[in-house]
Amino acid sequence: MRTALFLLVATLMPGQALAANQVALDNNVFVERVSTDAQGKQKILLEEPKVVVPGDRLVFVLNYRNAGAQPADKFVITNPMPAAVRFADAGDTSPLVSVDGGKQWGLLSDLTVPMTDGSRRSAQPADVTHVRWAFQKPIPVGGTGKLMFRGVVK
Amino acid sequence: MTSKLTYMGVIGLAALSSVAATPAFAAGTTAGTTITNTATVDYQVGGVAQGQQSASNNFTVDRKINLLVEEVGTVTTSVVPGQANAVTTFQLTNSSNEVLDFALVATQIAGGTAAHGGTDTFNANNIRIYRDNTVTGTVGSWDVGDTLLTGYVDELVVDTAIRLFVVADIPTTAAVPAVVNGAVAGVTLRATAREGGLVGTQGAAITETTGANTAGKDTVFADIAGAAGDIARDGSHSDNDDYTVQTASLAVAKSSRVISDPFNNTTNPKLIPGAVVEYCIAVGNSGGAAATSVAINDAVPGQLTFVPGSILLGGTYTGTVPSGTCDFNGTAGGSYTAPNVSGTIASIAAGAVSTLVFRATVN
Repeated sequence: MRTALFLLVATLMPGQALAANQVALDNNVFVERVSTDAQGKQKILLEEPKVVVPGDRLVFVLNYRNAGAQPADKFVITNPMPAAVRFADAGDTSPLVSVDGGKQWGLLSDLTVPMTDGSRRSAQPADVTHVRWAFQKPIPVGGTGKLMFRGVVK
Repeated sequence: MTSKLTYMGVIGLAALSSVAATPAFAAGTTAGTTITNTATVDYQVGGVAQGQQSASNNFTVDRKINLLVEEVGTVTTSVVPGQANAVTTFQLTNSSNEVLDFALVATQIAGGTAAHGGTDTFNANNIRIYRDNTVTGTVGSWDVGDTLLTGYVDELVVDTAIRLFVVADIPTTAAVPAVVNGAVAGVTLRATAREGGLVGTQGAAITETTGANTAGKDTVFADIAGAAGDIARDGSHSDNDDYTVQTASLAVAKSSRVISDPFNNTTNPKLIPGAVVEYCIAVGNSGGAAATSVAINDAVPGQLTFVPGSILLGGTYTGTVPSGTCDFNGTAGGSYTAPNVSGTIASIAAGAVSTLVFRATVN
């Protein structure tokens, strides 16, 4: 079902004017709003972040494209979390995350956070400081893709 | 341009589930903050690291106006007629993401059901609003060291709750309408967000940004509905509290019995000259508050002679005045100044009865 979301997000930005670099990256943010219509159906609207107040849910969408003439290898996208945004989830894009400012990376479920008494607890989404996607395979020439994660305005 | 993406039903719920457990952010990021998100790409071509690419976007956090006025405690304030400085307590919380002033208005409800039941039947006088002094005096309770407010709270910082006291004087029993036991006066405290920024001056009124969104700092009202007439998302919030009069309501009954006569002694005594008669003056309090310093005075008829030292105070009574019966007991006390027997009972609790008993002989 998430895939559906991605496809729809894709339709939102037809013909992105990616820069003429070897690799082009485009970064968008939307506010996710839920409304219930007269029939009681819930709708989710993704709006441009014009009216944003604390507690609003954000969807960050990253579009990448290999615009060069050769495959791009060791392809890594890193996104530090803005200080005023709390990480929520990354859909099914399974990123590596860091909870210590980018020193160590791993799946969120594998990371721990030190507590004041010296013990460690499991990392929570709110602990995430960086999100990273590291691609195993090269991005072929002309290859494009889309990544996303959600956050909440603190 | 505002792009919108719409999709329905199940997909929406699934997408939402991952963030549904979001904790409530009371105030959060300060209004006007710009949030910038930057992503970078590192990659290699033909085994050679290439220049890093990055992409950013940013947006401004708008102003969310949210406040909460809550009555502290969930009980009415018990007052007595004529009481000065009767206090009801409220709490005001600034849950906005900006420092704001708050205009305050305390009003009396007119009729209808008050916050803690009962129908509003009278108005208190001289209503004032105080802000609790959290440094000196009795913190959390009204005292003379608290600050009398002139219609607003100045520069209330984000995520901060302060205690406010609505202080009023209660009319006396001579007032119209009568302030009787159980009478209720409801009060409403309403706070309205005003622009902050100028210390010592009440800021201008705040209006919600209407029409098209702007890229700058917009204003969104996020308050919930409060007391009657206070709708949600109007930049203000309110709550009710009330005063309930608790006063004593006294009833008096006098009864007597023959103790003895010179011929039958205590066996079936008759009211002949020389007989000893015992009187009981019972005072019952059917009100909601204790009556204190209850002075009882009774003139002994000329046909009787008071028996010195026979006064008993604070005795018991079986049943309700005047239908019950006096138990003719108590503790020695009172005084006699011909022809009056008198005694003072320190306190008669709500619902209680106390008595004064004395003896006299028939001339």
